[in-house]
Amino acid sequence: MIPLTEALLAAITASVPAPTLPVAVEATPVAEMSVYADAVYTGAGETIENAMVVIADGKITAITPGAEPGDEDLHVAAITPGMVDLSARIYPDGYSVEETEEVTPWIRVDLSLDPFSRDWDRQLRNGVTSVVASPYDNNCIGGLSVALKTGGSNSIEARTIKSNVALRGAIGSQPSSKNHPAFGRPTDFYSRRPTTRMGVEWTWRKAMYDALQAEGDKERAFDGLPQLLQALNGDLPVFVQAWATQDIRTAVFLKEEMAGEGKPNMQLIIDAGAEAWREIDFLVRTGTAVVLPPYRASGRTTDGAFFAADCAAKLDEAGVPVALSSHNAKAGGETLGQQAAHARRGGLSFDSALAAVTINPARMVGIDDRVGSIEVGKDADLALWNGTPFELTSRVVGVVLDGELVNDPRK
Amino acid sequence: MLNGLLAVALAAIFPGDTDIPSPTAAVERMTAFQAKLVHTGDGSSIEDCVILVKGGVITQVGANIKVPSGAELIVHDGALSPGLIALQSEDGAVGELNESTRTVMPEAEARYAFNPEHKDFSRALGVGITTLVLAPSPRSLIGGRTAVVKTSGGRVVKPAAQLMLGLSSDALNRNKFPTSYAGAMGELEKQFSNPEGSVSRAAGGSLPVLMDVNDRAETLRAIAFAARFDLKGALYGSYWAEDVVPAIKESGLDVVCTPFNVGEGSRGIRSVVGLSKAGVRIGFGLEAPDRHPESLRFGVALCVRDGLSPSAGMKALTGDAAAIAGVSGRVGRIARGLDADLVLWSADPVALSSTVKAVYIDGKLVHGGNQ
Amino acid sequence: MKNQKLGTLARTAVATCLAATALTAATNAMPFSDGNIVIKAGQVITLDGEPIENGTIVIENGRITAVGKDIKYPWNAEVKEYPNSVAFPGFVEALTNSGMDRANENIDVAAFLNVKDSIDPVSFYFEDSLRSGVTTLNVQQGGSCVVGGMGYIVKPVGMTVEEMTVQPNSGIAMSAAPKSGKSRATQTLALRQTFDDLRRYLEGVVQEKRDGVDLATREALYQGREADEETSKGRPMGGNGWKVSNLEMIPRWEIDEKKAPLLGIVEGKTAVFFYCSTPGDVQTAIRTAKDNGFLNRTVLCLSSGCWKAADLIKQHNIPVILSSVLTHVERDPVTGEEKETFVPAVFQDKGVRFALRSAGTSGKSLWYQAALCVGHGMTREQALAAVTTTAAEITGLSNRVGSLAPGKDGNVVIFSGDPLSVMSNVEQVVVEGNHVYDRSTDVRMRHLETGAQPENTSAEMETGTPHKHDEPEEKDDKEPDEGENEEEKDDDHEGHEDEEN
Repeated sequence: MIPLTEALLAAITASVPAPTLPVAVEATPVAEMSVYADAVYTGAGETIENAMVVIADGKITAITPGAEPGDEDLHVAAITPGMVDLSARIYPDGYSVEETEEVTPWIRVDLSLDPFSRDWDRQLRNGVTSVVASPYDNNCIGGLSVALKTGGSNSIEARTIKSNVALRGAIGSQPSSKNHPAFGRPTDFYSRRPTTRMGVEWTWRKAMYDALQAEGDKERAFDGLPQLLQALNGDLPVFVQAWATQDIRTAVFLKEEMAGEGKPNMQLIIDAGAEAWREIDFLVRTGTAVVLPPYRASGRTTDGAFFAADCAAKLDEAGVPVALSSHNAKAGGETLGQQAAHARRGGLSFDSALAAVTINPARMVGIDDRVGSIEVGKDADLALWNGTPFELTSRVVGVVLDGELVNDPRK
Repeated sequence: MLNGLLAVALAAIFPGDTDIPSPTAAVERMTAFQAKLVHTGDGSSIEDCVILVKGGVITQVGANIKVPSGAELIVHDGALSPGLIALQSEDGAVGELNESTRTVMPEAEARYAFNPEHKDFSRALGVGITTLVLAPSPRSLIGGRTAVVKTSGGRVVKPAAQLMLGLSSDALNRNKFPTSYAGAMGELEKQFSNPEGSVSRAAGGSLPVLMDVNDRAETLRAIAFAARFDLKGALYGSYWAEDVVPAIKESGLDVVCTPFNVGEGSRGIRSVVGLSKAGVRIGFGLEAPDRHPESLRFGVALCVRDGLSPSAGMKALTGDAAAIAGVSGRVGRIARGLDADLVLWSADPVALSSTVKAVYIDGKLVHGGNQ
Repeated sequence: MKNQKLGTLARTAVATCLAATALTAATNAMPFSDGNIVIKAGQVITLDGEPIENGTIVIENGRITAVGKDIKYPWNAEVKEYPNSVAFPGFVEALTNSGMDRANENIDVAAFLNVKDSIDPVSFYFEDSLRSGVTTLNVQQGGSCVVGGMGYIVKPVGMTVEEMTVQPNSGIAMSAAPKSGKSRATQTLALRQTFDDLRRYLEGVVQEKRDGVDLATREALYQGREADEETSKGRPMGGNGWKVSNLEMIPRWEIDEKKAPLLGIVEGKTAVFFYCSTPGDVQTAIRTAKDNGFLNRTVLCLSSGCWKAADLIKQHNIPVILSSVLTHVERDPVTGEEKETFVPAVFQDKGVRFALRSAGTSGKSLWYQAALCVGHGMTREQALAAVTTTAAEITGLSNRVGSLAPGKDGNVVIFSGDPLSVMSNVEQVVVEGNHVYDRSTDVRMRHLETGAQPENTSAEMETGTPHKHDEPEEKDDKEPDEGENEEEKDDDHEGHEDEEN
């Protein structure tokens, strides 16, 4: 809390005509602070030079242009909204997916998360303030994803921005990778279908048709039916890992097939869509959003998918909502900010790169009312940069989370 | 459904807290113990104290009590404490408490694995442990009910003391349900949302739970789960508790601390001290026979060396432990009406230099003394 | 006239090889311009003084003859104009273990081997280096050795090692880090024994000569060696280290060819690139170098954890080549918290001269490494020096490469903008006055960028095993890892450099 007090004092002594001049009331101290930057990239359509972001009670209360910081003030080169990573891959040591069945829509990954994992701080210190955690992709339909803040209280409940933001699943080689035919090995629950892509697709369709048939028929109800119906009705986005073009197609065709069965509103988000650049027409046609995997210099990714460097740019140009992800890079690995830099190198405009790590992912899972841009009334989650964002020559040096300076660039 | 029926049936045979008749109840002669210092088990101590025992039960305690004529007088020039209580052990039931074929067995009873004649108990007696909680393995989600037993005489103090819940990664498997925390928690929620039998009693708060946890996340998850279904009872596992002490305190749950060996690192010790200082009621597991029973008292001594108050240490071994196991009306303190489970020590029990001189259970000498 | 002839020969050679390898990227497809070229660029960053706006670089016979604004050049010179681009010195890769058929030898002491014999000129590595603007590479054996073979400094252009050569015999690799399967103690012992053996051998040869036994001559003749004017003479042992007296009695050609390179080290004639994987190795390396008199010829090649020995290194004023892993990660053994240390900044602060290595080629080449340094607070000048001028200095080529100045090799990279910006691309590369790379005709680059398949190829050309699924990370309370986090496996092109050891 000391930095806040300092900022408070500084704000007063710097004789800034602050529109919301903080007045400390002793009984109920209002947590208030201001951060100055040469440029504030609001992510809401404008960039304000020499501006001050004013925060009270964890929310943004003002963005004041033309503010002059004093020597003691917190002043950085640039501020962007705290970044959002939908595919942060914060897994609780593998125990996040209930592998005893292939289709487990009722599984809630928030019951698996470990708030003490190092993964959180690694995201936070690199400017990622919101993430979506999903069950590990060993099931076809793994369960329910959750949107969380990456710091603050160590209770998962307190970190949760929104529960059940998506129904998570996977198409490709991974869901079947552990299964095997029953012969030749000791029998366990992996002695089963699917062992192939065809089987994975069959499992998905069966789950969907089971749900269609059970809708309104109490006798046929089963575990996970409510979640499947929510997904079919468009109330719960379907968030599917699909690296390669064939798997992206499978997901898109499934959506179209369901539209033919009277469920036209299913929302689809492809995760790790390395080869989405090959399928732009299908993605546009079905209104599908895409989260891209981390950049690889060689272009080679999982499932043999080739991740062209201009993938994000192509999708963006075609109007496909696109988000970037670092897949929870190990310490010293490439951060989400660096992913935005690579996407820019591939041709994505600065504004679109900013959107792809902030407001786009926030919109995809419906948390844009709270995070994803710097606007009055939104959560005070800020990434503080030592230079122009999304260049390798700059990085996140400070972080504000819910109005608290959790990483002080002056230290 | 079957579970429910079974519960009803079992309840008919062994209703609630019914005591099993004590084989030593016939001893009618009064015995008087006179000791230099008596730890009563509630944190206090009395100097030059006399304890009168008749029929295996304490009848009077105090400094100025006259020893009735005809009473056998045992004068002890050292400390005396209630028998120590270990809150988790497999003594006498090794291999019989881990039912790996199914993960939900709320009506399973640890007492049916209890072999009173097992040689393991003599080791426990030798270090002053007179009462043990036999607990089903935490490798099941709902492992069954614990039993509180004495280490000599074969008495079951309480047959269905707690319901054992496995909330740690120990309950997760690689090749059978559940493989995930989410799956495990989902199953537990299902069981407690439509409770039957023991689960129903636990959900109503009449049967305490013993929730096995290892790490911090599991601890917080268990606390949230207990709050959601209004469960009473204790967490089992304290190694990481240091970082979540306020949450544990707020939950009102007790903690059965993980025992530890010398040289295991300081985190476990700091956690115990932190919990105690925050006012959380604690006791200790034993994990015998994997661990030598002596590690119970030595573990506490290590904590005392690192800041645990000696009286809190004594309580954790006796009165508080009894309360956590739900048997404070029977054991754990030296008070009128309680079982005469007494340990005579050469010196302060939480000092490592002290040794056990004699152990009495239900007023009967079972170890040491002038046999 | 002579030059012209050579140029024609080179052209023929290139044309022949092109025919042989139908799919060779744009890199070799450019016609050679005989080492004469004039480059005009919107900005010339010389790294030898201030940048020049609208500058001109004149290269004649492969060497820069003039750099400046409005300078004269021959009327018939081939002029390349890039008014919207930035001219920059070619990057210098101070150390690489790639471009060879394998990075390491089985033999512990292999000083008699020469990487020249294992460099593969058509390796994709060289093509990819050129694509990233790296024009000078010090190829050394990997760190899994006691004493490695002789290194070679090459340019990534040419169809034979001879054509590629910039500086032959650039130094010998040694390792203080245990060779795989060895313990630290045996490694240290092996280092000591190597030089003890050399000394005993030399003393023995001298003694035999005195005793009138001439085994050395016989052995030399048996090995088919012949004396030339230089080697037929004996001379006293040189260098600053230990001496074997009366060595002048032995004509140098008679010294066993397996021992001669080691003698070169002790006499201070050969640079040593000393691999260290831990701070403790640094101590071993310095002691070995001191004991044998080659401390002033030593360059330390460090794994990232070695930053902890920075003070010791500074104290001995030894230059270093840093690991491609710039951020050292360690876990606090008590709290389990992660601590990240940005290694170049540590050496910068201590005032140790250092060069950087690429972390992969086209994607994460030297520009990328330098950019990260700026992000972590170093100045642009400091960061760029580590991949150009300092790298040249450390490899003994400061008079040849690293900056754009008269007399230096005509190695120029044309960037579309600021060389450190993620938005800039290497558009053209000129090596020794020859225009050798043009991005607009680089089909492989186009493939990486857009997925476009090069003509006349099938998708099967894409080799490489699919990635394993991202496994969840290990549980928190495991034992803390020691030392290095692994280099990213994602960019493992053929022959990707072994991480030090």
